[in-house]
Amino acid sequence: MALDRRGFLKFIGGATAGILATPVVWKGLDDVSIWSQNWSWIPRNIKGANSYVPTVSKLCPTGVGVRVRLVDGRPVRVIGNPEHPLSKGGVSSIAAAEVQMLYSPARMKRPLKRSPDGAYVMISWEEAEAMLLDGLKAAKGGDALACISGDDNGTINELLSAFVQQSGSKSFFLMPGEAQPAAKAWDLMGGEGQIGYDIEKSDFVLAIGANVLEAWGTAIRNRHAFGASHPHGAEPTAQFVYAGPVLNNTATGADDWLPIRPGTESAFALGLAHLLIKAGASSSAPDFDAFRSLAASFSPEKVAAQTGVDAKALTALAQALAKAKHPLVIVGSEFSQGEGAAPVMAGIALNMLLGSVNRDGGLRALPVARKVVPAGMDRKAMLQQDLTLWASAIASGKAKAPKAMLVYEANPVYALPQGSAFKDTLAKVPFKVAFTSFLDETAMQCDLVIPVSMGLERLDDVCTPYGCGEVVYSLATPVTAPLFDTKPAGDALIALGGKLGLDLGVASFEDMLKAKAAAHGADFDKLAEGTAFTSRATVGANLSFRPDVLSKALDVKAPALPLALAPVMKLNMGTSKTAIPPFNTKTIRRWEVQGKEGYVMLNGATARKLGLAQHDRVVLSNPTGKVTVRVNIFEGVMNDTVAMPLGFGHTAFDEFSKGKGENVMHLLAPSTEPVTGLAVWTGAGVNIAKA
Amino acid sequence: MEDRQLTNADNENGRKCACGGAAPFFVGLVVALVFGWWAFPEMLYSQKEQPIRFSHKVHVNDAGMECKQCHSLREDGSFAGLPSTASCAECHSDVLGSDPEEARFVAEYVKSGKEVKWLVYQYQPDNVFFSHAAHSLDGCNQCHQFSERELCNLCHLDVADSDKAPTHYENKLTGYSKQTMKMWQCERCHANENHLGVTNSSNACFVCHK
Repeated sequence: MALDRRGFLKFIGGATAGILATPVVWKGLDDVSIWSQNWSWIPRNIKGANSYVPTVSKLCPTGVGVRVRLVDGRPVRVIGNPEHPLSKGGVSSIAAAEVQMLYSPARMKRPLKRSPDGAYVMISWEEAEAMLLDGLKAAKGGDALACISGDDNGTINELLSAFVQQSGSKSFFLMPGEAQPAAKAWDLMGGEGQIGYDIEKSDFVLAIGANVLEAWGTAIRNRHAFGASHPHGAEPTAQFVYAGPVLNNTATGADDWLPIRPGTESAFALGLAHLLIKAGASSSAPDFDAFRSLAASFSPEKVAAQTGVDAKALTALAQALAKAKHPLVIVGSEFSQGEGAAPVMAGIALNMLLGSVNRDGGLRALPVARKVVPAGMDRKAMLQQDLTLWASAIASGKAKAPKAMLVYEANPVYALPQGSAFKDTLAKVPFKVAFTSFLDETAMQCDLVIPVSMGLERLDDVCTPYGCGEVVYSLATPVTAPLFDTKPAGDALIALGGKLGLDLGVASFEDMLKAKAAAHGADFDKLAEGTAFTSRATVGANLSFRPDVLSKALDVKAPALPLALAPVMKLNMGTSKTAIPPFNTKTIRRWEVQGKEGYVMLNGATARKLGLAQHDRVVLSNPTGKVTVRVNIFEGVMNDTVAMPLGFGHTAFDEFSKGKGENVMHLLAPSTEPVTGLAVWTGAGVNIAKA
Repeated sequence: MEDRQLTNADNENGRKCACGGAAPFFVGLVVALVFGWWAFPEMLYSQKEQPIRFSHKVHVNDAGMECKQCHSLREDGSFAGLPSTASCAECHSDVLGSDPEEARFVAEYVKSGKEVKWLVYQYQPDNVFFSHAAHSLDGCNQCHQFSERELCNLCHLDVADSDKAPTHYENKLTGYSKQTMKMWQCERCHANENHLGVTNSSNACFVCHK
């Protein structure tokens, strides 16, 4: 029986009717739609038991305590730790990204060495340790070894400084921050220990420059104090006032914002001191009369002209301060670095006039635990070391370059003022080693790159971060085994020191931390379980105003340029040691960076005066450098001021940071503060021209 | 046109089509039905057996165990699902019976501490959030009178009396098990208006799709 055309069509018709009465079409379509979503790159949930491990963030400068959520032993998320005094349930945007940073594309996974053609090649740990040993053997005696640490407060700094000192050198440096100028000011005025600001117990917090709710000091703890004093639907129990050049997150949250020009924090504080003294404030300090004479020259009108603040607003602020029961004044840099001792001294002087020294809600002198590495530097000695001046002296040939340099979790090539000039300093060093978790700009200039386990993978500690109002000592405990072929630096350095014949005086890194815990009077086992040690103890603060130093230190010479530059720091865009975490790219605003082009902010009046409009491409320049950016008109910027965010313009790291925007550090050059000799880079100026 | 008319004329003259009538249609229909209901599922699913032949019957009926001894909720309310080798080893640290599969389990998994890669019949995609804790006996029995077994069997295969775990049918296209519940099955309860206000079983998207 042959099948003709008509018969075939009938068959097809029957088959079609039949197939529609089966699941083929409907099930097939459904399954194809599910199949189309099964791409191999879509991350899959890993099922398993939840557990939460308390630790502390080593990546975040606020030292925030966190709890890491693990699923089946695998870290998946960082959340705040309500039990930790520097978190109280909150978490910073850097710490929140820390689990994801374990898997960063820029993560160091194994040791690398630079080959003669400049390429980096993978090597074994044995080869890396042999290279390190050879390189450091050649760097003994007479400042031949230098070390830069990006750890703000950990005990590993004692170990690193011991390593340097035992090699016959004194060149151990911390990356610049707020702690160094504060320590200088505190020391000059006769304070002991470390400055602490008791924000929680204050009823009137005046932050001058210091970006206390965003990036300054223990910002997450500060935010909690702000939240607790500003209950929803009720009157605030404390006033927060911010004086600074940009309506940043601190100014936005504060009850009042007084715009002032960048770099004029000292004048603003002395203007307040003048008004307070005029209203009857006094002090028993021996040099009060001399200080009164100095403050008298800062009349409201003069301060208004210098800082741009309204004289009446200044007077009202002085009255409010005088009325408060527990007033507190915090002076700092709006981008947490670069200020001299003078602004801090002016701030301490205000607290002295308000009777706020060593009392609840005021400025407190916190004890510093003794050093536990006998051959290492103590905290005071470390903070006296000025990396910026040392690097400038070497770059200019005024000082001899070391034969070897260790860079520990720091990125000076990116983060120092005129950081790119630091390359010239590095170029003079024959053997450079980076101990780092990320292949950053500095690692890209080193001969050997040692992969360091991240804070979540190692045992480490955080000693009272700068700005904290009480002593807080916390341990970072490993929440996971190292994901890659990395090691914590501590024990590797101790073993290396042994091979080099250095007497570091510590048997193991854990023993060193146990000794530090004991020095604080803390129980190591409790610390290891995630309970932070806290103490409300204070030490003596028999302070003087030191107007002799202050009057001269105010006179920092900076080139006169038409516009003031106000760098803006936000933790979501990374810190001096991390780039923008991929987790945080969505928090970057539309007019902060577009594609590869960065933006700066000007207010409407300034833009009109300069003939600029939104999105205009401009060149910012000064004798230090120049950058090309676009203009974003934002009314929350002081007149005649350009606000530029930190954190952009990386030339290393990953696709999320590299080549995005411009690095503001190119426009900042250190000047020297008279008398104190500190390097200062607040108060920079720029020219602006259409590109 | 002329040709067609001629052909029609032929038919009219009694020349029947070689496969005339409705037969081809019905043949096509039957072929499609057989393909769609029998061959297609055979082609679509691959059949897999569990790595170890597991008898629920022995554990439930003979050993008197309860379901929740192995399939339990964790303290935080998440569902632990399948027991780990360590929890099986609480009894099977050594071979207890004469079943060769038990001996193989002890030798291959308990002794080496390796987890068994059990095939799960009900895993939902990652974009579906399901909490066993929210579908508890207490919640449902506010109105119903379910036994634990009846409640579990609303979604899961009833395996309590089986001597061998059912064959796992894996969809070759999607990768999911044949028994993976579809949304309409969830909506038997979630879209039931009698449940609203009693069980909080809203049918809003974000209840399940987080």
